[in-house]
Amino acid sequence: MRRDFPRNLDSLSPLYEFAEEIFESNDISPGVRFPAHLAMEELFVNMVKYNPDVPTDITVEVTVTFLGEATNDAASSKEVTVTLVDDGGVEFDVTAKRQVNIDAPLEERTPGGLGIHLIQNLADRLEYTYKDGRGEVIFTKGSGNEDV
Amino acid sequence: MFEIEYGDNGEVLCRGRLDAAQCEKAQGFMDGLEGASTLDFADLEYISSAGLGILLKTQKRLVGSSAGLKIINVNNHIHDVFRYSGFHTIFDIEAKE
Repeated sequence: MRRDFPRNLDSLSPLYEFAEEIFESNDISPGVRFPAHLAMEELFVNMVKYNPDVPTDITVEVTVTFLGEATNDAASSKEVTVTLVDDGGVEFDVTAKRQVNIDAPLEERTPGGLGIHLIQNLADRLEYTYKDGRGEVIFTKGSGNEDV
Repeated sequence: MFEIEYGDNGEVLCRGRLDAAQCEKAQGFMDGLEGASTLDFADLEYISSAGLGILLKTQKRLVGSSAGLKIINVNNHIHDVFRYSGFHTIFDIEAKE
């Protein structure tokens, strides 16, 4: 299912409700929902932050794929894919490794880069393409690989 | 939805989802904390990096005055976000029973 969201933080609540409805109807486990919601927010906010003046909406697509044979443990055979498309923004490769020192003492800590660091660690797959001003990010998380 | 208020014993009760759209509300409350403070996350379902930034900023300010934050009743999802962020080394964190 795909929907366009206005480029501002007021979209976060409708974005959550849009995805949650899909997760609920497909009985997606909390261990997949949480990182999928987190990835959606972090990626969406990044697009808002780095491309605030782009007039187009941000397109979000959420799909659920059933992997293999259905089992009694239904949650073990589903994969959630979240795709965000930002048409007209600057290039921002979310798959690039960033310097985030999670072992640094408090006085040296800064929140910068934590969001991308988190989704890089939580994703089963994270893909980014950019062509002719159109950026697309695909985050995939399957049940059976839950971290959180 | 995100709510933040004082509990009966002086702890800070956080409820709902602390996302980037709720930062102003959360930061406004946190800026009023003084001394050692306990955040009760029993009813906090979700936090993103924007919320982590608020915790970090508040912790830096409080530790600077020889106090700090204790975060209790953290659900397993948020606990793992803390772990991936290295927050378990700079905050006093208690998981939800």
